[in-house]
Amino acid sequence: MSLQFRAGFRHLLRHPWNLLLPVLGIALGVAVTVAIDLAIQSSREAFRVSSETVAGRATHQIQGGVTGVADSIPALLLRETGVRALAPVVEGWGSHPSEPDRPLRLLGIDPFSEAPFRPYLAGGPGAEVDGTRLLTERGAAFVSRATADRLGVAENEAFTLLVGGGLVELRLLGVLEPEDEWSRRGLRDLIVVDLSEAQAVLGRGGELDRIDLLLDEAVADSVLERIRAVLPPELRVEPAGSRERTMEEMVRAFDLNLTALSLLGLVFGVFLIYNTMTFSVVRRRRHFGTLRALGVTRGGILKSVLGEAAFLGVAGSVVGVLLGILLGRGLVRLVTRTINDLYFVVSVEGLALPPDVLLRGGLLGIFATLLAALPPAWEATSVSAREALARSTVETRVRALIPVAAGIGVGLLGLGGALILLTERSLGAAFTGLFAIIVGAALVVPILTIVLVGVLRPLLRRTVGILGAMAARGVVTALSRTAPAVAALVIAVSVTVGLGVMIQSFRGSVVQWLDVTLQADLYVSAPGGVSARAEGSLPEGLDELARGLPGVVGVSTYRGAEFDSDYGRTRLVGLDLDPRGEDAFDVLERMGGLSDEGLFERFRAGDGALISEPFAFRHDLSAGDTVRFASARGPAAFPVLAVFRDYGAEMGTVMIGRVAWDRGWDDRRITSLGIFLEPGASEGPIEAGLRSGSGSELLEVRSNQELRQLTLEVFDRTFEVTRVLRLLAFLVAFVGVLSALMALQLERSRELGVLRANGMTPGQTWGLVTAQTGLMGLVSGILALPLGLLMAVIMIHVVNRRSFGWTLEMTVSPMLLAQAVGLALAGALLAGVYPSWRMARTSPAEALRDE
Amino acid sequence: MTRSQPALELVDVEKGYQEGGRRHTVLSELNLRLEPGDFIALLGPSGSGKSTLLNLISGIDGPDRGEIRVAGVDLHGLSERDRTLFRRDHVGFVFQFFNLIPTLTVEENLLLPLELAGRTRDEDRERVRGLLGRVGLEDRAGAWPDRLSGGEQQRVAVARSLAHQPSLVLADEPTGNLDQATGTWVLDLLEELVRGSGTTMVMVTHSENAAARADRIYDLNAGRLELREPRTV
Repeated sequence: MSLQFRAGFRHLLRHPWNLLLPVLGIALGVAVTVAIDLAIQSSREAFRVSSETVAGRATHQIQGGVTGVADSIPALLLRETGVRALAPVVEGWGSHPSEPDRPLRLLGIDPFSEAPFRPYLAGGPGAEVDGTRLLTERGAAFVSRATADRLGVAENEAFTLLVGGGLVELRLLGVLEPEDEWSRRGLRDLIVVDLSEAQAVLGRGGELDRIDLLLDEAVADSVLERIRAVLPPELRVEPAGSRERTMEEMVRAFDLNLTALSLLGLVFGVFLIYNTMTFSVVRRRRHFGTLRALGVTRGGILKSVLGEAAFLGVAGSVVGVLLGILLGRGLVRLVTRTINDLYFVVSVEGLALPPDVLLRGGLLGIFATLLAALPPAWEATSVSAREALARSTVETRVRALIPVAAGIGVGLLGLGGALILLTERSLGAAFTGLFAIIVGAALVVPILTIVLVGVLRPLLRRTVGILGAMAARGVVTALSRTAPAVAALVIAVSVTVGLGVMIQSFRGSVVQWLDVTLQADLYVSAPGGVSARAEGSLPEGLDELARGLPGVVGVSTYRGAEFDSDYGRTRLVGLDLDPRGEDAFDVLERMGGLSDEGLFERFRAGDGALISEPFAFRHDLSAGDTVRFASARGPAAFPVLAVFRDYGAEMGTVMIGRVAWDRGWDDRRITSLGIFLEPGASEGPIEAGLRSGSGSELLEVRSNQELRQLTLEVFDRTFEVTRVLRLLAFLVAFVGVLSALMALQLERSRELGVLRANGMTPGQTWGLVTAQTGLMGLVSGILALPLGLLMAVIMIHVVNRRSFGWTLEMTVSPMLLAQAVGLALAGALLAGVYPSWRMARTSPAEALRDE
Repeated sequence: MTRSQPALELVDVEKGYQEGGRRHTVLSELNLRLEPGDFIALLGPSGSGKSTLLNLISGIDGPDRGEIRVAGVDLHGLSERDRTLFRRDHVGFVFQFFNLIPTLTVEENLLLPLELAGRTRDEDRERVRGLLGRVGLEDRAGAWPDRLSGGEQQRVAVARSLAHQPSLVLADEPTGNLDQATGTWVLDLLEELVRGSGTTMVMVTHSENAAARADRIYDLNAGRLELREPRTV
């Protein structure tokens, strides 16, 4: 290492705060982004691996409509088209009683059809088992070696599975041990049973999920044509993997939101590096001047400063990646749970560590560090020996730059605003706009700080005395150091405010929506699966049973199904709506000229659909448009009667009257019931009546309050990741501000030494330091409020809308704002503790020694 | 370099600064010619432009008018980068505030100009050790600058200014930050080393005593350079 670089690195080592804090800051920033990236990639990869393994070599899949695929279809295809390479599949989810939160995929197959598709199941290469043995014993199952070990079950031993709230006994007949790692990973958490066993266990008699096809590419088109000709209209033939792609598409907005949030942490890390490097350069102006006098070129200085930054960046990024892996282990659980609650079931074995994610995180950290160090490095090259020797200050130049920075900041604010206002649907534009606004605001902060400190100075003079006035003056005379710190604190606090208001508003809206939506007194559903969504079906005749119970005045029935339609993954609901439940719809938009009575009259008659707000937003539909589905009896079209508020399903929901459902599909099942009771009727006897009458002890019967509570719990669970990210982002910012303010005060050691030499007591020194950091905290807190509220508006009305199609009512709690200002103030005051303590302990003589 | 090529030549040099709406002339119509091995002193009150003149001679700053030639090279005709490289190879500095690099040891401070010039041969290192011996600090080679007294630091600075064998040494009040005895000692050393190596030196000082060591003394007054008559020294 050259002497010039050695000098730079030794400078870093001599100022451990300057070394440790930015390394920590960048490490935390990188850790958050890496952790989120790993969590997202792990859940994605787990989903992909298991889907692909389960799909095997299928080239196409016949997918079901609302009622799946009738199990008579394979025979029909064989008869009418001669296609033999087809494999019927039934899939469902369960869990082991010892790990109820970990989903296990139950795969029902026809062992005779499997060989070409999933050779590991049918005695093909790498298969240790003979799939046909599944037919010989009731409850027979195969699992992978890893799953068998985890469940603690040996071959020929029985084990229980929790499916739809009930316990099912299975027997492990053989262990799957495919040769390749990909299949091994795909078989994790997979239980293979015979088709009829799966139908029985999942309560799906006569129904398949899909039929896998293996078609020769050369004749695929003509064979597909023949297949389509004989298939019932509601069934679709799609290339294998298209459903998975649709599902991955669904979570993209969710992923993008998490990624954007995680990048905020990195933005704070960048601030931190900028701060540290600026300090380091300002502090070494004479050093650079000497080097220039000795013949070091501007390029040499630039390289040297960027070299130091690269060192910090590499160190921070390496630590960050390692920390990210640790953090990722926790976050992957939260992310997976949210995906399970909101989108689809996925079981994640552990954190995947794709090298590209780790490398990307590391490079991002290094790149961000170098980017942040570029302005101070440039500043260092502009230090001429003449300036350094003349001891002219950098402050004059900074002051001249402040209006320029403010101008650029206003420009960025305008640009960000324009990006948001001029685009309608692009989430990328919304986030870019938001980031432009954040950076723009940071650039405007210095000029606003001058104004605000000018306003506060007389107040401080009167209340704190000369020390107060000095503290205020100190903030504006050292703007090269104070401005980045204040800007970082403003951004950090505003993000806290923005996210806080967003979460609060979202929760407030959900609470309001639940108040409207939950009109029934009791809700009955099939025992819960592994996700928070209602699945399964209720015992036949339960609705009639409920209607006959004393105290019951009305019943709404609900039949929901998720399937692939022309709108992508769609949730269609057939609703037999009791008139008492009409108020449950918070109608946002209705078909012209339709009264409330008219609307529900048409709905009940099956003449129209109600669509949820996210569905309308995603597919650009309004009341009066038409939604079309392929029903079992041919194409069905429903005019959109109204768009209603719904936070229940992000993919959106289409509701049609039960009459329309029955007209389109031969499916009498019911997913859940809403029961209305006489005033004063007790819930207990009705619940007992339902259980005894249906013979099912496993029914989920919840009161209005319980369901409301459960929904809010799920809501809080889905926002847990956001809360963690908010906390982490603030932590990074806090470290940044702490280091900036601390460095600023330590930098003033000499000045404070002069004051101490002139008779200032340690207590007064403490007062001066804390007054200054406190003032900066207060200014930051005040400036953060409007920015935070602006961010909240953007997140609520733009980001949320574009991501999920929801509109939310913005609610701002004064307590949250007060907390934010308090947080800034507390953080800033805390930053003053160490420098004050150090100055109080250092003798003035020591402080006056020239470094 | 031959006698016909001066070590330093200033021709009609002018330099001023803009102060608000007014232009403030610091140096005007400056002419000077130094032969190799010359040692001159520049005297003048604060603000008379002494340091500005040193900055012009070293190429750190450029004149508004006129020519500055060091070893026959017109500095103003060079790019900023080439001026830096020229300074690296041909000019040595001694500052009032020492300006040692605090994060390099004494020996490393001396090696720095050599390394910058790409000269890291064994004989260069040997010469640095020899120089340390000449300034009496061979036993402090591994010490950090902040562990040295002011006089010791300036002795290191003197050695550093000569480490890469420049043709011109510029000393900006080299004793301004030292007590009289230490200052005298440092000046003795500087003079001895400079004269011993045949290097040209321009020394800016406030001290008449220090100036008296020079071959010639120039007074800088109102931006003009005046050669002092020998009898007034």
